[in-house]
Amino acid sequence: MAIKFKSLSYVYDYGMPYAHKAVDSIDLAIREGVITAVIGETGSGKSTMVEHLNALLLPTEGELEVLDYNIIANEKTKGLKNLRKQVGLVFQFSEYQLFEETVIKDVAFGPKNFGMSEEEATKKAMMALKLVGLDESYYELSPLELSGGQKRRVAIAGILASEPKVIVLDEPTAGLDPRGAKDMINLFVELNKKFNTTVIIVSHDNEMVYNYCEDVVVMKKGKVGFHGKTVDLFWDNKMLEDFNLLEPQIVTFKKYLMEKGFELKKEDRTIEAIAKRVAKEVNG
Amino acid sequence: MNIISVKDAVFSYDGTRNHVDGVSFDIEAGSYTTIVGHNGSGKSTMAKLIDGLLELKSGEIFVDGLKLDLEHLYEIRSRIGIVFQNPDNQFIGSTIRDDIAFGLENHQVKSEEMDALIEEYSRKVGLFDLLDKEPQNLSGGQKQRVAIAGAMAMRPKIIIFDEATSMLDPKGKRDVKRLMAELNDDNRFTILSITHDIEEVLQSDYCLVMNKGKVYMHDTPEEIFKHGAELKKIGLDIPFIAQVKEEFRKQGIKLKKNDLEGVAEELWQLNSNH
Amino acid sequence: MKTAVLGKYMPLNSPIHNLDPRAKIIAMFLLIVAVFVPQNYFVTLGLFAIILICVIISRIGFKYILQAFKPLIFMMFFLLVINILTVKNGTLLASIGPLSIYTGALSSTLAVVTRLVMMIMLTTLLTATTKPLDLTLGIEYILGPLKIVKFPVHEVAMMISIALRFIPTIIEETMRIMNSQKSRGVDFEEGKLKEKISAILSLIVPLFAAAFQRAYDLADAMEARGYVPGANRTKYRKLAYRFSDFVVIFFSIAILGLSIASRFVL
Repeated sequence: MAIKFKSLSYVYDYGMPYAHKAVDSIDLAIREGVITAVIGETGSGKSTMVEHLNALLLPTEGELEVLDYNIIANEKTKGLKNLRKQVGLVFQFSEYQLFEETVIKDVAFGPKNFGMSEEEATKKAMMALKLVGLDESYYELSPLELSGGQKRRVAIAGILASEPKVIVLDEPTAGLDPRGAKDMINLFVELNKKFNTTVIIVSHDNEMVYNYCEDVVVMKKGKVGFHGKTVDLFWDNKMLEDFNLLEPQIVTFKKYLMEKGFELKKEDRTIEAIAKRVAKEVNG
Repeated sequence: MNIISVKDAVFSYDGTRNHVDGVSFDIEAGSYTTIVGHNGSGKSTMAKLIDGLLELKSGEIFVDGLKLDLEHLYEIRSRIGIVFQNPDNQFIGSTIRDDIAFGLENHQVKSEEMDALIEEYSRKVGLFDLLDKEPQNLSGGQKQRVAIAGAMAMRPKIIIFDEATSMLDPKGKRDVKRLMAELNDDNRFTILSITHDIEEVLQSDYCLVMNKGKVYMHDTPEEIFKHGAELKKIGLDIPFIAQVKEEFRKQGIKLKKNDLEGVAEELWQLNSNH
Repeated sequence: MKTAVLGKYMPLNSPIHNLDPRAKIIAMFLLIVAVFVPQNYFVTLGLFAIILICVIISRIGFKYILQAFKPLIFMMFFLLVINILTVKNGTLLASIGPLSIYTGALSSTLAVVTRLVMMIMLTTLLTATTKPLDLTLGIEYILGPLKIVKFPVHEVAMMISIALRFIPTIIEETMRIMNSQKSRGVDFEEGKLKEKISAILSLIVPLFAAAFQRAYDLADAMEARGYVPGANRTKYRKLAYRFSDFVVIFFSIAILGLSIASRFVL
């Protein structure tokens, strides 16, 4: 199974003189159960593309297959609300969506909207808060009292509480401190491992993408510029140049070493692995 | 000469605990200092205290020889420019031109002189061709550069960057960081940058590490990154180059260079010597 | 994301765009008064023709103006129903059961609607051809004399210009929060009253929280750049009347005078 975009286009203000085609006839199959990054410059159509995944936007042309749904342009699809339960979308600066008096109520808000009873929703909320690393001492606090990083974790718990099969995140680490960012990424890695959740991350942070995302989609001017293994993208000079991407420092370092004459293997992806291989040569 | 001098500064937001807890440090005129620390370490509060946007509970702050108190508040503020975190929330004018003019108007610069100043400062941040653009048509990085031009136009001695790059994409970060280094080139401005970006520390002269409202370390970046383990303990990263050197040290190889290309060269020479 | 805002500025180059904002505001004010002075059909028609010519000169296009009429359709219908029920003069047109429709009902509806149409055309003409910034500046100049009675003209102008500056930002923010809540199962279109209330709260509370944060940040930024409310400031942008501005104001006064005079003459 995969999430399939079939010649899908989206036009903002369709039919108006200032209409704007943000996504232009894309064909794409995102693998389920994998962490995929979506990258590209601002205005390349990344956000427009992912907002189709839970039917916030409906295609102007073409179709989209996601889970058991088949969304076709200009045709009514039933049960979109249930789709939103199964595909959780976390927006940029998601901490601004909190509004209930207490953390637990806010996290239970989603499951309740999707038809769970108060009791069941609260139970799911507790589980979700545990996942994001907030214990019961936070339940009765007002979301407004929390720090920025904690607020964002509450917002993400609010999506996880509905137990989505696919989770889509727009810049989840933007504005967090290094420790907060690392915790956040590890949470998604864990979700993916434990529950086989499909994780799609829209990001500008190439270091993070290189280190944690197996697949990558590069958007350029509303089209898919590249889709495949992350390693293959960041080791291709021509593509980095074409897509105007900054290469991760580890790639830069490895390239310098190889230019000097060291022989490194493709699987040497961490500093530790590279240091060991080079040290072996140097120490002879 | 010290342009900023903080002595036993104590501050609390709510009275329950001290968010800045007996901080003392001096900043040399014309230097570039980064302040790091995880969220809640008190580093952003420090910036607001220095500009008098918040009031000390006890202790003293001296800026450019003046004691920070009600009498000198406006005089001190006119010597400090601040660039804040959120690019949107500090863009006051309707266009770049008007935003740079905002500070000039406050300082009662004559109308006839403004165009020349606006041109000068917009050129310095590379935005002269976009002067009539509105904020919604600019990227985050461009908006931050406008904020920098706006701060410079007030001809301050000190510019404080309060997590000014944290909401930007990698290109925006890179451009703003380059600009910060350039501003400090001729030592005309003293730069104080509160940041999460550990790579930025490498381009500064000094680094102040804060933890739990106190000064944890205050030294040159080189010295600070010798204490990698301690930094990790308080939730901070170390820059990529320092990680590389650390890993090689574990393999018994001590490296001297401080850039990736230099390190690669150094390793290759070691290899050839064998 | 890119939805047209009613009354948005159209960046074109036309004689009307180039007029001084004060001249445009004054002219618009005079013409609106002229439109609402009771008058006969010939004068109305004449006014309509003048406004139409202005629209053509401004190059903003009728498509743009027509958009502004959409909310009017409902009002027109409402007015018509009320007029049919209440106005009983003129000749009888038709009668359906107890309901009888007179020509008077139609003509008085038409009279109100044409005036509203003209008023909307005039205001749209002003906002579409004047940058928000210039509009604020114009208002500030026009209100200038009120400084004598200690009215905070400058502060009010600053508030208006900041409000205008943040409209697009806040629209974008509203869209994002709406989408976030939709992703959490909120249905903004349908639902029972209780669900509707919770939906609206889920939008308004975060919007206010964000707006306050923005206000604090903005206050810090303004203070840090030397802004002191009430203190003297110099002005970067200055307005200067040109010959064409006087011509426009003169003609507007003349049109108003003529439409008032027409009541007594015709």
